[in-house]
Amino acid sequence: MLTIRNLQKNFGGLRALDRVSLEVEGDSIVGLIGPNGSGKTTLFNVVSGFYEKDGGEIYFKGERIDGLAPDEIAKKGLCRTFQVCKAPEKLTVLENMMLAAKSQAGENPLSALFRRRRVSMLEKANLDRAMDLLEVLQLVDSRNEYAGNLSGGQKKLLSLGRVFMLDPDLILLDEPTAGVNLTLTMDLLKVIRELQKKESKTFFIIEHSMKVISDICDKVFVLNFGEKMAEGTPEEIQQDEQVLKAYLRGA
Amino acid sequence: MDFSQILANGLVRGAELSLLAIGLTMVYDILGFANFAHTDFAVLGAFLAYSFNQVLGLNLLFSVTLAVPVVGLIGIGVDKAIFRPLRRKEAKLVISMICSLGIAIALRNIVRLIWTSHTKRYAIPVLKPIEIFGARLTVIQIGIVLTGFLFMILFHLLLHRTKFGKVLRAISDNKVLASACAIDSEKMIQWMWFIACAYGVIGGAMIAMEHLLYPRLGFDVIIPVFCAAILGGIGNPYGAMLGALTLALAENIILCLDFSYLINLGGLFNVGPIQISTGYKPAISFVILVVILLFKPTGILGRK
Amino acid sequence: MPLIYFLIYLLTMIGIYSLLAMSLNFQVGFTGLINFGQVAFFCIGAYASSLLVIKAGAPLILGFLGGMALSGLFGYIISIPTKSLKADYWAIATLAGGEVVRLIALNEGWLTEGPFGVMSISQPLRWLFSKDTYPLFYLLLVVACMAVVYFVLSLLTNSPFGRNLKAIRDEEDLCLSLGKNTRKLKLQAMVVAGMVAGLGGALFAHYITYISPENFRPIETFLMWAMIIVGGRGNHLGAILGAVVIQLFNVSTRFIGGYVPLGADSMAALRMIIIGTLIVLFLLYTPEGLVKEKKKVYH
Repeated sequence: MLTIRNLQKNFGGLRALDRVSLEVEGDSIVGLIGPNGSGKTTLFNVVSGFYEKDGGEIYFKGERIDGLAPDEIAKKGLCRTFQVCKAPEKLTVLENMMLAAKSQAGENPLSALFRRRRVSMLEKANLDRAMDLLEVLQLVDSRNEYAGNLSGGQKKLLSLGRVFMLDPDLILLDEPTAGVNLTLTMDLLKVIRELQKKESKTFFIIEHSMKVISDICDKVFVLNFGEKMAEGTPEEIQQDEQVLKAYLRGA
Repeated sequence: MDFSQILANGLVRGAELSLLAIGLTMVYDILGFANFAHTDFAVLGAFLAYSFNQVLGLNLLFSVTLAVPVVGLIGIGVDKAIFRPLRRKEAKLVISMICSLGIAIALRNIVRLIWTSHTKRYAIPVLKPIEIFGARLTVIQIGIVLTGFLFMILFHLLLHRTKFGKVLRAISDNKVLASACAIDSEKMIQWMWFIACAYGVIGGAMIAMEHLLYPRLGFDVIIPVFCAAILGGIGNPYGAMLGALTLALAENIILCLDFSYLINLGGLFNVGPIQISTGYKPAISFVILVVILLFKPTGILGRK
Repeated sequence: MPLIYFLIYLLTMIGIYSLLAMSLNFQVGFTGLINFGQVAFFCIGAYASSLLVIKAGAPLILGFLGGMALSGLFGYIISIPTKSLKADYWAIATLAGGEVVRLIALNEGWLTEGPFGVMSISQPLRWLFSKDTYPLFYLLLVVACMAVVYFVLSLLTNSPFGRNLKAIRDEEDLCLSLGKNTRKLKLQAMVVAGMVAGLGGALFAHYITYISPENFRPIETFLMWAMIIVGGRGNHLGAILGAVVIQLFNVSTRFIGGYVPLGADSMAALRMIIIGTLIVLFLLYTPEGLVKEKKKVYH
């Protein structure tokens, strides 16, 4: 699904990503861990097109995507969330969800003015889908609240909801459980696992909590100082000496 | 017009613009927004100097020196009253920029109210130009170039030899870290406004000495000043200096160019001289601005 | 001039400016595009329409449409450099752009009659009415245009297109990550806004019957900004209200002149000081403006 070869990203003299190569297989949940500043979010930013790479290649579903604009990459089926949740303040929760729906008819001025019947039909369909997702995410009660008024954890859930509305093939989640309470985290993980199984989606998740990683990930990559330090199953990683030394102080 | 004259004119204008551009770029670097009122502060200072000179009969240079702290304090006052509350509210920086437009409108018209729209001139005798290296400049113009370079060097020293400069560079490099290091950023910001306004007043006075003084001068000059700052690399004071000189030279060169050469194609046609009229001078800044923004938005020197 | 004629004139000008305010609001309040050169649309719409009618002999309706089309085209052109442009850079570029448009009108006399301006601009359906009733007709024409524009813009902002614009305004990166081509959307917004403002310009030219570059100085942009900040961004009604408030203020202070011991120039200066102060005060204390943005509630 996602193949990264020798990816390089420099910030001035700093090597944020140093010849990183890894492969994320389809229909699985893969984790990405590493100490703060090891380049995890930078990797996501380069893969999703928000940062320009300085070297290397990125393949998504067999196609080369490095150098494309972020919206082009998203349209190909690769979607990401942000570490600091971006929620348009003056849009309600429902509007946020509807925003994310794929290929809407009324998204340009001409069709918005002249194909109103078709637009409202599609809007209704998207609305139903959004409501279903909001129920799963327990956000139904806030559906008409401004997204800016939600709590941190709720915003994370909304980010997830938007991504699900978009229905991509590969989902990059940047610290989805940070700031979310335990029960909600468990629910979130359940949703991710279900979606992965039911619709064969692929997840690539940045996480700090080894518990979460061991719970849902099939495979884990470890980054340190911009280099890939190790890869393997959660159990293998937890026993890898290098990783233990650099990162884990007893999971 | 020969090249040495173009160069000379370019240096004079470049010196005037650079002091204004330095202040603008400093505010953008430290506070993060484009201050559209910057040139109007400068013009206010130029008018104050005019009054000190004409009404109080003080020597012109002394008048300018007196105007500097007055406008500097006004700048600090405006920051305290308007921009600081916005910072405290963590309002979007765009809001500060739009606010600065409002301040610009108000300032410009306060000047207009106090001094009327009539054009003013400093009481400088009309001098005969001197010949230097094939170009003709008046003593005033030479003085402007020298003063400009003097203050550019002073700014460099300020940045690298004083504690203030060190802190300024630290904040510029990493705001978050700087605020975590118990640097009193509010005090720094006040000093920064003072210096930005001071440089602005000197630049504004230099322009007034060479041309005319009228309330709309602030607006007439803001586009070239912005262009200079962005051309050199916004946020970089050396960029501001370089950008100003480059823009000034470009303006002078382009206005002198005779485009009929292109059309005549060495004898194919015979068209009379085609030159861009001086009425389009601001358009030159605009075109350069757009070109830079399209191809190299970080400017010649880029960020520090 | 008897009071009733003055009132009709005032209302007509408010109507024309409300079109310009709604256009600016569409850019600033809904899409987050900080346009400091709004006067350029006004200028292009006015000149294009009047010149098409007078110099090219086009029928009035084509003149109006031509004015709108050219303004829309200009909107397209100035949004080309927004690819990686931050708000600050684009703001100064549009400020400069507005001035360049005026300079072209001023310098290219062969096209625009330069500083002398365009005179004797024909008025739509003038022959149908007497000298006394025509102003009333024009006012109704302007109000009709306002209603149509309000309806169209509301449709747009309540549609998925409008939702995308608001999202771009608040969080552009998010839109990109969801696959929205933000550049194309901004382009479309600017074309729409340009056309609306161009209509305002055309209505202005054919009402006043004489335009010159002096009508299109940057002060016009600043007045329009005051209108949307005072009236309320992100709300079409707010734009109209802002136009009412600022125009009333602008025009009424011309009459205090007799009672206040200030010359005309000083009055103008005082007026603008208040405008600038209003902008600052509103941004500091009432950033939403008088009419707030409406929340879209689904049932």
